[in-house]
Amino acid sequence: MKKLLCIILLICMLGLLTACGSKQQEETAGFKPALDTNTSCKITVVGSYDNFEALEAEFDRFNKFYPKAQLRYVKLDDYNNVLGTALVGNDKPNIFFSYTWMIGDEQYQPVADQMEILSDAALKLDLSCIRPGLLKKDAEGRVLLVPVFSRTYGMLVNNDLFQKEGLSVPTTWTELMAVCEAFRSKGYTSPMMGYSLKSSSCLMNTVAYPLFLATLAQNTEALALANQLDPAAGQYMRPALETVERLIQNGCVDLSACDEIGDNYTKVILRFFEGDVPMMICAGDTVSGTRKRESQSEAFTKSPFKYTFSPIPLTEDGGYFIDSPSVQFSINKSCDDLEMTNEFMRFLITNEELNEMASVKRLVTPTTDLSFDSVYAPFGQVPSERTLSPEVLGITDPLTVQIRIASFQVGKGEITVDEAVTKYGSFQ
Amino acid sequence: MKKTAVIIVNVFIMIAMLTFVVLYSSSESRRTTQRQTEHFENTTITMEHVTENYLEGEQRICDVWARYINSKDMTIEEAASFIQISHVLPNASAHIVYLDTLSGLSTRARHNAPDDYSVSYGRMDLLNDVSWINEIGVSINISRAYTNPVNGEQSIAFCNYVTLHDPETGNPREALMLRVLPLSELEQKWVFPQEEFENAELSLIDANGDYIIKGPSFKNSSFFEFYRSYNTANSASAQELFHQITSQTGSFTMMNSRGEESILAYTPVAATEGWTLLSLMPAKDLSVKTENWLLIGFVSAGLLILFVFDLAVMLYFNKKLQMAATEAAAASRAKTEFLSTMSHDIRTPMNAIIGLTLLAEKNLDDKESVGEFLRKITMASNHLLTLINDILDISKVESGKLNLSPLTFSIVETVENLVNLSQPMIKEKNIGFNFRVSQMDIEYLYADQLRLNQICINILSNAIKYTEPGGHVSVDMREEKSEKPGCVRLTYRVSDTGIGMSPEFMAQMYQPFSRQTDSRVNSIQGTGLGLAITKQMVDLMGGTIDCQSELGKGTTFTVILDLPVADRQREDMMLDPMDVLIVDDDEVLLETAADTLASLGVTADRAGSGPEALGMIRRRHEMGKDYSVVILDWKMPDADGLETIRRIRTEADSNTPILLISAYDWSDIEDMAKEAGANGFVSKPLFRSSLYDKINALLGTEAKSVEPENDYSDLQGMSILIAEDNDINWEIISAMLGMFGITAERAENGRLCVEKMTQAKKGSYALIFMDIQMPEMNGLEATRAIRALDNPWASSIPIIAMTADAFSENITECLNAGMNGHIAKPIDIKLVVKEIRRIKEEGRS
Repeated sequence: MKKLLCIILLICMLGLLTACGSKQQEETAGFKPALDTNTSCKITVVGSYDNFEALEAEFDRFNKFYPKAQLRYVKLDDYNNVLGTALVGNDKPNIFFSYTWMIGDEQYQPVADQMEILSDAALKLDLSCIRPGLLKKDAEGRVLLVPVFSRTYGMLVNNDLFQKEGLSVPTTWTELMAVCEAFRSKGYTSPMMGYSLKSSSCLMNTVAYPLFLATLAQNTEALALANQLDPAAGQYMRPALETVERLIQNGCVDLSACDEIGDNYTKVILRFFEGDVPMMICAGDTVSGTRKRESQSEAFTKSPFKYTFSPIPLTEDGGYFIDSPSVQFSINKSCDDLEMTNEFMRFLITNEELNEMASVKRLVTPTTDLSFDSVYAPFGQVPSERTLSPEVLGITDPLTVQIRIASFQVGKGEITVDEAVTKYGSFQ
Repeated sequence: MKKTAVIIVNVFIMIAMLTFVVLYSSSESRRTTQRQTEHFENTTITMEHVTENYLEGEQRICDVWARYINSKDMTIEEAASFIQISHVLPNASAHIVYLDTLSGLSTRARHNAPDDYSVSYGRMDLLNDVSWINEIGVSINISRAYTNPVNGEQSIAFCNYVTLHDPETGNPREALMLRVLPLSELEQKWVFPQEEFENAELSLIDANGDYIIKGPSFKNSSFFEFYRSYNTANSASAQELFHQITSQTGSFTMMNSRGEESILAYTPVAATEGWTLLSLMPAKDLSVKTENWLLIGFVSAGLLILFVFDLAVMLYFNKKLQMAATEAAAASRAKTEFLSTMSHDIRTPMNAIIGLTLLAEKNLDDKESVGEFLRKITMASNHLLTLINDILDISKVESGKLNLSPLTFSIVETVENLVNLSQPMIKEKNIGFNFRVSQMDIEYLYADQLRLNQICINILSNAIKYTEPGGHVSVDMREEKSEKPGCVRLTYRVSDTGIGMSPEFMAQMYQPFSRQTDSRVNSIQGTGLGLAITKQMVDLMGGTIDCQSELGKGTTFTVILDLPVADRQREDMMLDPMDVLIVDDDEVLLETAADTLASLGVTADRAGSGPEALGMIRRRHEMGKDYSVVILDWKMPDADGLETIRRIRTEADSNTPILLISAYDWSDIEDMAKEAGANGFVSKPLFRSSLYDKINALLGTEAKSVEPENDYSDLQGMSILIAEDNDINWEIISAMLGMFGITAERAENGRLCVEKMTQAKKGSYALIFMDIQMPEMNGLEATRAIRALDNPWASSIPIIAMTADAFSENITECLNAGMNGHIAKPIDIKLVVKEIRRIKEEGRS
């Protein structure tokens, strides 16, 4: 007994001694540094975001491997116009936001000229983790930009509210109509809401755009006409515009209620967090602001609820997953510390880091794994035939402007569907 | 206190010490961190002053330019040209833009268009609201960090309104002049001066928290958003904090984007409207760790080792104490047993003495009975004396005070003494006894004779004691070459046919008071200390003692001692060449005796019996070559020595000298031997020196008879001075000496003894018997005083110690004091007589 006591006391002493010392070694599985980890460098990422905390968090993660690397994100004023100058200036950025439309645009040729070829095997970037539909290749098959977020369209669903009212989240057009009717009957004046004050990011476009793309995807000739802003392509907007009209006419959307939402981002989110909106139509970019605003919403803080972002079931087969790059990165091949810049990109372009960043930003990840964020999980269940990539289809910006304005005006009742069809190509 | 309690207290003290060290270090660390934080705040304030001075300086330049442009009614080209000339900083530039179009001219051309000096702020929101720009000299009109539209660099601009001349309209036209400085250049200069704050980062924010200048660790576009993102604070407290940051100077702890604790110091920039300078630094860089973990680790390890060591030592000493306690208990038990045994063993002879004395007193008229009682009293007294001597010896052995007192002595005398001492017992018990010596070439050895005697006597007396009548005891002694230089190896082996010993007894036979018991010898008297003393003495003399024994069959003890050879040896002993006949039934004795005689230069013939000897003598006589000497053993089977002598004298040769060998005291047969025709006696064992002396004496003084043992006429009329303080002792010794016709004179103490010697005439005393322990002057001092006297006779008078101080060191002390001998009390009158004769003999020679 005495011996046992002695041993226990000795072990306690040793335990106390050892507790004074060692520090747990951080786990650094996954990425393996290829360069000297003591390398000092300065890496600047420039973009048009005011904030990029998700990327700044990645800087910190990268610093665990390369503690002497100084990384920063800088917002460039008048981004699109200044970028070309900045890329060759005195303080050249290492990585910059880039857009698919810059490729082939003469105005942005100086920018494109500075883009490093990311598909170069020497860089060892794991581009296979990116969904193929998001990777834009130039005429020579080179990858010059790599998406770090993607954008899509859908609706925020208050799952707890559905459960409370004994309803299921609709997956077909008929179910949607039935659910809206059921909610209305339970006193919800506008079962579906969204931003409707201006055409930009308005709910009408969020409904119409996927349907229009789906129509064009089935008809390459129509797509060509639409891209050329040929009025003849207006007829292909009809199904989309009629759907918008029906949603409003059937009482699924009460525009007067929607008009009370002051902007297409924060106000949309805070209105959804009030907890009485079953479905809030919005783009994925808006969803990205939900996490941070959970704490800013008194109503949500008081009565939190489970919510997801789902495709709007616009057809009897369900909704569409419009899979489009939101933010893409290119490397300035003239920058200082190019080797370390490539190393950072090699670190960043992985499932783990892109998902981590998407999770922080709450944007749709560009990787093949959508399941990590429960909010976006419903999009992971959309079959591939209903996944549409504007980049792959070759959708141009002018085309998007036509459907956006047409759908907004039809939804607002400013013009009829027929008028909108005839005015294709002339919307400004 | 129990062991467990001690351990717990130790551990508690260790933990308490370590806790104190850690807490004290932590407290010191906190205080240091607090001081560092204050220092950090003060440095931030200093940086604010520097920043303010810098901003004011840059603004002043801008103000000067603006005033000059305004005073000269310049066109935009002229103004730009003026600034180009005034500009000295390589990376700085100036932009002049009309307020209505927000476009104008830059003092530096674009990188990709060297001739293009145009600049436009129309597509950025920097100048959409210019209300923050005050009139010249009113304030510092600095922009937020923005992208220079000419070169894409992040820059800041110091602004002023200017009024330009519009050549197209001829009217004045309002414009803004921006002195643009690249942020990178500013950042390079805008660092903390102290090395200790090298990781500190600076940011400048406006009243809304938006960064004007942003350090790398500052995230988001707004510091307030940055704070909210990585720190938990409710809206109200955050607002309170932000208000505090933008209105006061201070610091607080916050988490940075890496989840690290950081210190944020803040101070408003006085010259601006609502700007605040922020310094952010990892807390770990500010907290000077006074906790020296290595030191604490060492202290801990040291304490632990100390604890374990103390524990081990404590356990060790506990064990030792336990053993000591056990030993003490055993010793106490042994002491009790010892005293009990002592009591018994002393009381037994005392009982006999007292009882027999009483009986003698009661039977004074019965002379025969009194004689018998006195004989028994003497025996009991001797036994008691032996017991006391043994007890004293064992006591000295056990206390480690038994010392050896080596001196030169004759081994021959020792053996003779041994034989003489053992003779009475052998005779009494009627046992066979044989003492053989061989190769005893070296007679004088240098050792403690007293102890050697004790060893030999103890073993031999035990053998005799434990051998029943009719049994046999044989002793072998030999000298061999020793491995120790200057020594001779003396082997002493005593074999008996006694009761033997059991293995159990042999295992503890060297323990004090061990006695082998046997029904056949239950009457054996002994102290039980003899073997214990013997073993200790053998060990002390560096020898070995071995015992082989079998119960009922007998015992053999072998003692081997390496004894130094004395410097003094007898001169070469060689006899004239002659023929000697040696007669004995003991083959071994014949062999050794023949060798010994041969070494004396004598030719020795051997005969194994009386008749054989008779035949050989007869033949020699007939041949006319009589033996020079015949040495004949007394005890032989066919015809004993006396019979053989008679026959030699009658049948062969009546003149040849005959020496009779006897292992025993020959006094009993002396008359018969002489009558039979023996010329002399020699004792077994037959030493070389004994034979040499006897043969020489025989051949030289053939007719001289053996000196009678009971003739004390030589002592008659001697006068001896006796220094003795004790009346009884004086009475005993004076009476004893009186029996031999010796006159004794008493000196009651040493001083009187010296006085008597001083006054005595030459030859007044033959010698002095000196007691040692006496009042006024002890025997040693008295001896030294006498030896120091001027009178040669007095100073050289023989002095014999007669004392109860009987240990060897006492003897040595006496001899060192100048005495000539030592007699231990109680006195043996035979020894006294022997000593007197020795002195007398020495005086004669």
